[in-house]
Amino acid sequence: MWRGLACLVLGIVIACCGEQIVSVDQPATATINQIVPIDVKITIPTAGNGGPDYLILGVLVPKGWKAGQNTTVTYTSPDGNGVMTLIPETTLPKNGGGLTWPAYMKKTFGNAGNLIDDMEWVPFQTDKAYSHNGNTFDGTLKIRMKVGADGNNTLVKLSYVITDSGNGFTSDGNGTYYSQKTTDCFSVTGGTGDIVDFCNPQLTVIDPPKSLDNDLVTLTFDGTVASTDLDNASEVYLCATAYTNDGKTITVCEQTAKTLMKQTTATSRRYQITVWPKSFFGVTDAQTIEKMEYFVTDKAGTKKVGYGNTSAPFVYTFKCG
Amino acid sequence: MKKIYQIKALVLALMVAMLGTACKTEKVLPQKEALKDISGSWQVIKATRNGTELTSIIDFSAFKINFKDGGYTLENKMPFLVEQDGAFALDDPEYPYKITFTASGKTPVSTAFTYPIVNGKRQLSLTFSPGCTNNSYVYVLQKTN
Repeated sequence: MWRGLACLVLGIVIACCGEQIVSVDQPATATINQIVPIDVKITIPTAGNGGPDYLILGVLVPKGWKAGQNTTVTYTSPDGNGVMTLIPETTLPKNGGGLTWPAYMKKTFGNAGNLIDDMEWVPFQTDKAYSHNGNTFDGTLKIRMKVGADGNNTLVKLSYVITDSGNGFTSDGNGTYYSQKTTDCFSVTGGTGDIVDFCNPQLTVIDPPKSLDNDLVTLTFDGTVASTDLDNASEVYLCATAYTNDGKTITVCEQTAKTLMKQTTATSRRYQITVWPKSFFGVTDAQTIEKMEYFVTDKAGTKKVGYGNTSAPFVYTFKCG
Repeated sequence: MKKIYQIKALVLALMVAMLGTACKTEKVLPQKEALKDISGSWQVIKATRNGTELTSIIDFSAFKINFKDGGYTLENKMPFLVEQDGAFALDDPEYPYKITFTASGKTPVSTAFTYPIVNGKRQLSLTFSPGCTNNSYVYVLQKTN
């Protein structure tokens, strides 16, 4: 009997400890610049005599939302209420190997299944510390975040991670000291900018996600995402129109070496072109390109694939924010 | 017995002499570092954008930067620190770590650069952001022959 009891106690000790996200209560939709209420329920069973440590929260959001400036976090718990503040770049995590908190989170959790690498982890820390003294701390982190500062209609999987300042993203005999929850696709509407879909594979992707007409821009058409009119095309070409700041439009829609999108490998069905927009459209030094509409065509220029495999063009706005 | 004393004295004298010479400092003549001359025509042999290799996906071969007598000219332009021809300056001709381009009628633009010798050839490595500041480009240039 004693042996059984000892095993039970040992089992509890082994499974007992570390920060855990119990649930994330987040709306499914919001409009641009709306302050979205997000409640993250947590529990922290502790053991031994470690700490005191601060609770760390990381939120994964599109960079364009500038969430560091547009988010407040408070917490409530039977052990006391308080606030969580943005962790400055100069405060490095103990087990992060010299990385900052955002970099440590990105290295550990990546983009949490989002397909465009234009997201950032924003780290917060509690004002009070707690000791690992055998108690269990329960609480709710109340995140209030203004979404869509970039004005873009967005589909994105927001992700949340918690840990403590003493352990970071580590595990040991006492348990795992972090917990992550990624939500379903969250939709922001009502914006005037482009639709940015982090959740679903896109027919075309532009790298870098944010660029100006004086950048080198790589446009990739992914024929594996959906069946299109170009399924059997031997070669595909870019057909694009630039809109300049002086109200002019410049169309380059020829099927030549200049617009040829090269297949990345022999059978990849992913076609790519890298252009310097200023030169590609031949704008003058005084002109800047504000946005570009484009299609992908076959060699004859008769079969055109546009946004969402429709006859509407893909749209890309040249901007940095 | 006297002989032994004489030998001892000789050994002592020798040791003193050795000690004296052992501590003699040798004067090292300061060697003048060669002035870095970047005159000539340079072309891109490697380029990256935010760490992504670009040279295999866009043709840089026609783009050239010609440095001569404090001025530079651009041939077959690509995104660069400056868009027009103008003047350039190195912050220190012996140990330069910064290059400044001043396009005609424009404000000067500076960037850090390195000037290593790779496989016996001088290279010029420049880091800059011609578009969005978050997009960082590195061009490695080598003199054309």
